[in-house]
Amino acid sequence: MFYPTAGQFKTSYQADYALFPVRQDAFLLGVIALFAFVVFPLTASEFTFRALLTPVLIYSLAALGLNILTGYAGQLSLGTGAFMGVGAYACYKLVSIFPEMNIVVAIALSGFFSATIGVIFGLPSLRIKGFYLAIATLAAQFFLVWLFQKWGWLYNYNASGAIQVPNIALFGVTVAGPRATAIAQYYFVLCTVCVITVFAINITRGRIGRMWKAVRDMDIAAELVGINLMRAKLMAFFVSSYIVGIAGALFVFLWRGAAEANLFDIPLSFRVLFIAIIGGLGSVLGNYLGAILIVALPVIISTVPKALGLPIDAATAEHLNVMIIGALIITFLIVEPHGLARFWAIIREKLILWPFPH
Amino acid sequence: MKTLLKTAILSSALVLGAGFSEPAAAQDDSIYIPNLSYRTGPFAATGTPLMNGQRDYITLLNERDGGLNGVKLVYDECETGYNTEKGVECYEKTKANAVVTQPWSTGITLQVLPKSNVDEIPILAPGYGFSPMADGKVFQWAFNPPSSYWDGASMILRNISDGNLDNLKDKKIALLHLDHPYGKEPIPLLEALAAKHGFTLLPIPVGLTEMQNQSAQWLQIRRERPDFVLMWGWGAMNAGALTEAVKTKYPMDQFVGIWWSGHDGDLKLVGEDGKGYRSVSWSVPNSESPLMQDIKKYVVDTGKSLINQGEGEFDWVFYQRGLMISAILVEGINAAQEQFDVKSPNPEQLRWGLENLNLDEARIQALGAEGMLVPFNTSCADHTGHGGGWMLQWDGAKFVKASELLTPDRAAIEPLEDKEAQEYASANAPWPINEECKM
Repeated sequence: MFYPTAGQFKTSYQADYALFPVRQDAFLLGVIALFAFVVFPLTASEFTFRALLTPVLIYSLAALGLNILTGYAGQLSLGTGAFMGVGAYACYKLVSIFPEMNIVVAIALSGFFSATIGVIFGLPSLRIKGFYLAIATLAAQFFLVWLFQKWGWLYNYNASGAIQVPNIALFGVTVAGPRATAIAQYYFVLCTVCVITVFAINITRGRIGRMWKAVRDMDIAAELVGINLMRAKLMAFFVSSYIVGIAGALFVFLWRGAAEANLFDIPLSFRVLFIAIIGGLGSVLGNYLGAILIVALPVIISTVPKALGLPIDAATAEHLNVMIIGALIITFLIVEPHGLARFWAIIREKLILWPFPH
Repeated sequence: MKTLLKTAILSSALVLGAGFSEPAAAQDDSIYIPNLSYRTGPFAATGTPLMNGQRDYITLLNERDGGLNGVKLVYDECETGYNTEKGVECYEKTKANAVVTQPWSTGITLQVLPKSNVDEIPILAPGYGFSPMADGKVFQWAFNPPSSYWDGASMILRNISDGNLDNLKDKKIALLHLDHPYGKEPIPLLEALAAKHGFTLLPIPVGLTEMQNQSAQWLQIRRERPDFVLMWGWGAMNAGALTEAVKTKYPMDQFVGIWWSGHDGDLKLVGEDGKGYRSVSWSVPNSESPLMQDIKKYVVDTGKSLINQGEGEFDWVFYQRGLMISAILVEGINAAQEQFDVKSPNPEQLRWGLENLNLDEARIQALGAEGMLVPFNTSCADHTGHGGGWMLQWDGAKFVKASELLTPDRAAIEPLEDKEAQEYASANAPWPINEECKM
């Protein structure tokens, strides 16, 4: 009824491997895009932009980067936070050394720095797997955060050790820095995230993505069918760290406005990993669903007591919030261990069959 | 599946509604004072008494005087857990009606500072934040009365050198600090003074993850044998440092903390062993003062306070400092009300009020808080006031005042303040400078 696929015939190979083999999927995405590009910007308050929309997009992007590495290529990484930091600090240095540089160029270039660092820390993946690799990437986490603190040049020897984003304009509109409006930043982030998502969808369902999946599912078999393991793994580290680095640059430049080294410590890595796991490893959609659950829901829940006029003080509300989110995460994982993306896939399947049970 | 879908749709509708609704509009007969508090997380132990103090002072005014000059003060907390990300979220959430921002963390202050020129809401960061905020011409919207961290560092050095910093020549001073913008604050000044007066500065950072286990840091202190250890610690770090100091038998009279490292609860843990530990402070607890008696009568005894009476929180340095912080803010509001003849001043009027604070001894006495706060006054060029402070010493059971009024060596600090403020302004150009201020 909602999702009748009957009558949608595929008459060519083109149609068979189209991005949206079912018409309703394209329609649904169109509605979401309409909301993201038109409805939200028209209705949202500054608080909604700064505390909900922009962070959800940025965290989804970081999770997408991690998902390529962990979900598609099967290499567990705990260094996401540090790679985000590399992107942010690289962008900061680029902007302070070349103040004339276009912000889009600076962000795009900063991704290459984190990609390079990611490949270097990905080298151990050629020899070690699973939890042991996670430990090796943990080393990246500790080392890089330490470097952000100790290497004064990275933060222009600021007394506070923090990096501050200057005002940067793009085509006459301030998009970064204290004078930027929330809506301009939102559009910038939204466009970047859209472009990278399209790129990620296409790379993961193409030749390279299949190569990664083969490596993930059984690396010996993959090697036997002629996949170059070294190339596949390092490429996964490169692409993943590139996206993560861009997410890091957006994180500081388009959202936070200032950052200290501690920000990129393990809690951030875990947060991104949780988004990827709860959203669903090996999916693109999952990152968005996971980010909504982990990033946006706590903010929304914290506004509920006040909206309903309940006399709960701020600290109690915060404790309740942590409990509710924890319970939700456990519930979702029990109901569907493969993450929210799988949950949606099941709903969609049922909708296609509805109203018939089989 | 159907019910599941229904719940999903319903909850998402609810969520959207909650997320997009605007906060309630401000009312004329009240003043909205948000506070970015932290009663949760690793810093809760030190944050809670301060928040309780801030809350109780406002409650007292509402209960005893029916508000401030007939206007009700609405105190509202937004929980940050000392987390910068949450802090910015809280700032965005509360700023619509707020007359003031109380960021309560140097990290959050650094985040909201650049926005203050755009949103035009004064930031009140008493005794914390970015030291160059003292330069009111550059930082038009930021206030850190009555003393900045650099003032504190200067006061401690003056005290341990008996008034003459040259006495510190060839001595070794360790700075045990939280590895966070807050802990790094005093380093530029201490480095400059070390070069000038010939002492060795040894910064020893304590990472946020190793606050409770500082054995590595104290091993270094034992090896280096510094003549003094200064501490810029917060939350769980203070207790960790004090217990390690006792364990390594570091002489307590050579161990001096900044005002945030003088929490009764942390020293109770070491008790008698902590005797001699000092902490510089711009507020002194005085439970016998008329103000404290009123707090007891109107707030604590009527059950409106959240303090832990069994622990004796009423007498704590931090609780009474929290009261003083709200007192400073209310003085600013009061000044704005009188100057502009309005009931509830807007943020810009409050900025004038905070620039024209005049908390001299007589005024502090009139508030019933004699001796509880250093006298100071601010101006458009001086947003700190540089009132100075006293040394508080732990006598084994409580903190007692252990020095005359100490004042910072402003001649040594000012050039550095100017330089840092200018650097900040040029790094964040275009940054408006208050040209009207001719001081």
